[in-house]
Amino acid sequence: MKIRTVEYFVREAVVSLRRNGLMSFASVSTVALSLLILGIFLILVLNLNNMASMLESQVQITVYLNDGLSDLEMRETGTRISKMQGVSQVMFISKDEAMERFKDRLGDQQSLLTALGDTNPLPNAFEVKVDRPERVKSTAQAISQLHGVENAKFGQEVIEQLFTLTKMVRIFGLILIVFLALAALFIISNTIRLTVFARRKEIGIMKYVGATDWFIRWPFLIEGMILGFGGALIAVVILGQTYSAITQQIYASMAFLPLIPENPFIHNISLMLVLVGTAIGALGSTISLKRFMKV
Amino acid sequence: MIHMTGVSKVYSNGSVALSDIHVDIEKGDFVFVVGPSGAGKSTFIKLIFREELPTHGQLVVNGRNVTNMPPSEVPYLRRGLGIVFQDYRLLPEKTVYENVAFAMRVIEAPRREIQKRVNSVLDLVGLRDKCRSFPNQLSGGEQQRIAIARAIVNSPVVVIADEPTGNLDPETSWEIMKIFERINKAGTTIVMATHDKTIVDTMRKRVIAIERGRIVRDQMKGVYGYED
Repeated sequence: MKIRTVEYFVREAVVSLRRNGLMSFASVSTVALSLLILGIFLILVLNLNNMASMLESQVQITVYLNDGLSDLEMRETGTRISKMQGVSQVMFISKDEAMERFKDRLGDQQSLLTALGDTNPLPNAFEVKVDRPERVKSTAQAISQLHGVENAKFGQEVIEQLFTLTKMVRIFGLILIVFLALAALFIISNTIRLTVFARRKEIGIMKYVGATDWFIRWPFLIEGMILGFGGALIAVVILGQTYSAITQQIYASMAFLPLIPENPFIHNISLMLVLVGTAIGALGSTISLKRFMKV
Repeated sequence: MIHMTGVSKVYSNGSVALSDIHVDIEKGDFVFVVGPSGAGKSTFIKLIFREELPTHGQLVVNGRNVTNMPPSEVPYLRRGLGIVFQDYRLLPEKTVYENVAFAMRVIEAPRREIQKRVNSVLDLVGLRDKCRSFPNQLSGGEQQRIAIARAIVNSPVVVIADEPTGNLDPETSWEIMKIFERINKAGTTIVMATHDKTIVDTMRKRVIAIERGRIVRDQMKGVYGYED
């Protein structure tokens, strides 16, 4: 394709964008809105995932020991745990310490414990940390096989709940995005239909003098792609600004929340949104061309 | 140049527009296609530039088999043809020059060549001085001359015209016919559907008469042969 021809295509596309100003505006807005919501969900889901795996990595294994072990036996078990691959920290929590913690947690409901009298049903325990999150599960399993160990637990439920939440957000987001993408497609293909209609005479003449179908299609495709690209650009700018503002706020006030840093995270999402927007534009044009031009 | 062998055209609603047409039109021919309204003249014309496909028979135009021509090849067939309509079909928002240049631009001709060719065909139709005007500033005859300039700017081997003088007064019609004759003298084949008895009877070219979808007469130096 010659450069002059490309120039011609772009010029034609821009002319009809201006001619259908209102529809062009509506298209760009719809695409922007759709991609904005897509972006919000993407950021939400990825951050939730990130949080879940961060939590997983911080999770410790609690090892409950059988009653009636001698100090030596307990110390031996502790040594064996600390020699396991990937174990970074082992801390002994005696029955008494466990009871103190339990009392603290009960707060003003400590009276419940009076029913126990002087007996302490809590076992002696170890708190074990590992260096890599994916080791948590296997290490816990290995520890539970050791002599004198009743069982080894880790905060599986919390993590699984977080993953379930992520999944739900993802499904809900997906449904919403599909609807919005369809709306964007519809409105872009309508805009292009108006353009096709406005230029049907020109298209007819182009066909009679031997223009190829692709030569006729390109300006419309470019018009659709500009609409999609423009919408995506708006969405990307809004998302980028908002995320940067939010992360700064959260780093300042709630530093413990593990948000994904702005770069290159937002860059990658922006790139994806721009590509999706442009693709939606091209697809919208194609639908219109197929239905209304028959070239 | 144009060869029809046993060509029929039946529209999807069942109406038979043409049946069993045998015609050979050679390079440099000047052919009038005449006949009553609805006889099949327009279909005959449309088959040549593959606006319609034949239902039966063989059709070869300019060495290309049009019978089963896939849509992707149609542009290349049409680059060898120039088409002129009764209603001119100029683009109102483009100047005369741009209207003619448009036909070359859409087939991606080099800019230098476009300028040269457009000026030369505007000279041929005698409207070079109107090149900056818009179609609505021109008379009907002038508009048709621009349409002819556009049809011949890509140097087609055949010019097809469907009632090119249908909207014009007799005097203007003659100016148009003189241009067609000039184009024909330069070696271009002309196929023209017309209702204009005076023109056909005066020019004495080959006449193909179509009635109810059949060729009833194919005559060299023929006459119109109908009373309007």
